[in-house]
Amino acid sequence: MPHVLPLTRRALGLGAGALAASTALGLGRARAQAATCVIGTWGGDYQNLLDANIVKPLLEPKGVSVQWDVAPQNPRKNKLIAERRLPQGTLDIACLSDVDMYDISLSGALDTLDESKVPNLKNAVPALRHPYAVPHIYSGMVLVYNPAHAQPKAYADLWDEKYRGKVGLVDLLYTQILILATVAAGGTPSDFEPGKKKLIELKKLGVRVLPTNEAMAQALQSGEVWITPMWRARCVQWQNAGIPITNVAPAEGAIPILFEFGVPKNAPNKDGAYAFLNASLEPAAQIGFAQKMGYAPTVANAQLPPELTQKLSFNAAEQAKLVKTDYDYVAKEYQNLKQWWDREFLA
Amino acid sequence: MSIAGPRASAPSLAPASGRTAQGGFLPALPATLLVALIVGLPMMLLFRYSLNQYDRYDLMREALTLDNYLAIFRDSFFRNVLLRTIVVATISTGAALVLGFPVAYFLARAPAHWKSFLIILVVFPLLVGNLVRAAGWVAVMGNRGFVNQLLLGVGVIDEPLEILYTPTAVVIGIIAVVLPFMTLSLQSVLEQVDPSLEEAAGNLGARPFTAFRRVVLPLAMPGVIAGTVLVFILCMNAYATPVLLGGPRFHVMAPQVYEQITGQSNWPFGGALAFILMATTLVLTVASTQLMQKRYARRALWKA
Repeated sequence: MPHVLPLTRRALGLGAGALAASTALGLGRARAQAATCVIGTWGGDYQNLLDANIVKPLLEPKGVSVQWDVAPQNPRKNKLIAERRLPQGTLDIACLSDVDMYDISLSGALDTLDESKVPNLKNAVPALRHPYAVPHIYSGMVLVYNPAHAQPKAYADLWDEKYRGKVGLVDLLYTQILILATVAAGGTPSDFEPGKKKLIELKKLGVRVLPTNEAMAQALQSGEVWITPMWRARCVQWQNAGIPITNVAPAEGAIPILFEFGVPKNAPNKDGAYAFLNASLEPAAQIGFAQKMGYAPTVANAQLPPELTQKLSFNAAEQAKLVKTDYDYVAKEYQNLKQWWDREFLA
Repeated sequence: MSIAGPRASAPSLAPASGRTAQGGFLPALPATLLVALIVGLPMMLLFRYSLNQYDRYDLMREALTLDNYLAIFRDSFFRNVLLRTIVVATISTGAALVLGFPVAYFLARAPAHWKSFLIILVVFPLLVGNLVRAAGWVAVMGNRGFVNQLLLGVGVIDEPLEILYTPTAVVIGIIAVVLPFMTLSLQSVLEQVDPSLEEAAGNLGARPFTAFRRVVLPLAMPGVIAGTVLVFILCMNAYATPVLLGGPRFHVMAPQVYEQITGQSNWPFGGALAFILMATTLVLTVASTQLMQKRYARRALWKA
């Protein structure tokens, strides 16, 4: 019987090394600086806002400098797994969505957080807290629609015949769309089979599947798509860009998305990592993200202006109805879900 | 009477003499070693991985199995992906040859003082990255893009045509990417075909198309083969264009390799897919090259 590869030796020495080598080589100089904290994150606006709201105002005055390791989430997950058995990894902080962070926590790559080093964690919304990660920002999957053509109230309205050919989905959000369809079918997020059947019905209604959020924005702008399930934060960004849309939290309850920070067990600079975690929960940093990116704060002491609260937050009733993602089920079905999506739904 | 001047013969494909080859090898050694190091070693490593077994949280388990290769051929989804890749690459290569030949011929016959400028024009698209070009095609082919606006504007259609996120869009996008490679490969050989040969064929009563078919094309075969091989390989391995113009429903091999390795973290399966793609490309390339060479060698022999 084949044994599990000891990735610390042969396989990792060669293969994972290939994955990590470029980063590791690039970080050699950074390691020479004592307090450099390496943050694995997405690039673009998210990185810029981390820099502007956390690093520059809150970390650098304390002598902690930051180096960015920019990549999409999947290469970052692979890196965490590949480096897992090394005595020292290359990341101090890993940014991932809640589903991906849970998946990585199952691999044993993440530290259980020492909450005494993150005093601001006491202000975090309890429902958003996990022992292996700090909640950074969150939003929920609402129904984004053009009010001139559609007035949906529930996820189930996507199956309304009068919206035939005018409902759009973003390919990248397939996991949440499966949850959405399951909830719309009256199922629970712990078994997607009812949702799969429901999605095949939606396919017959001419649903449009677009590859990216940007393509969806164009489709909403041009009128090709009237309704799409999307994060409320993204809706706010699109509204700010002049797209004629609004949104509603679905009657079934919105599916939440949470972006988190985790600390790898073999992070070289844990002091820097914990300083970053605590700074990320400062009210000023959270408000900065809400204003610029449209995601709601995860700490109770970040007070947004009332109009911003109304625009991007979820009120008490909406919060109470948020759908609880079954992380364990999604992690277990991870490969099957993608296969089903590509082969059955998209085919 | 011989009509073939010194420039008429096509470039020889025969190997150089042993002494010349040895003399030429030493300067090529550094590049050869470099390629062996940065291409050969990772490929060997990936091949070894392709014989391992997938493990979700350890990436893979050590093994020596062909299961990943067999799984690909047993799975109709991946068989279709491979077939689709070959079909798209063949159509794109054929179209690039048909479209590129007249341009290459025009370049080869263009006055010397214009030639450099025209070649720069041909090469110009290569200065723009594939991603940027694909983004441009999105603006052209979208439902509210240039083509649909034009057709709607002149009343040819009432509803926008679905062009973007279709196989047609992918083929158009790939042809645009590979056309300069085909054109330059052909042009470099057509330069060496003496125009007096065509004139002689005309004087002997051959119509222009006959002169092209019987004189120019056979002499340009080394360029046709080089261009076809180069372009076919590029088409088989196309990544950005199918992803951006094909949309989520259009699957070809290179994006699937990426999806398996980075999306699913399944390095053994992704490695096997990569080697099947490489082997298929190699086999088809060698087979088509042999076929073309034999066909024209036989025809030349028959005519002689």
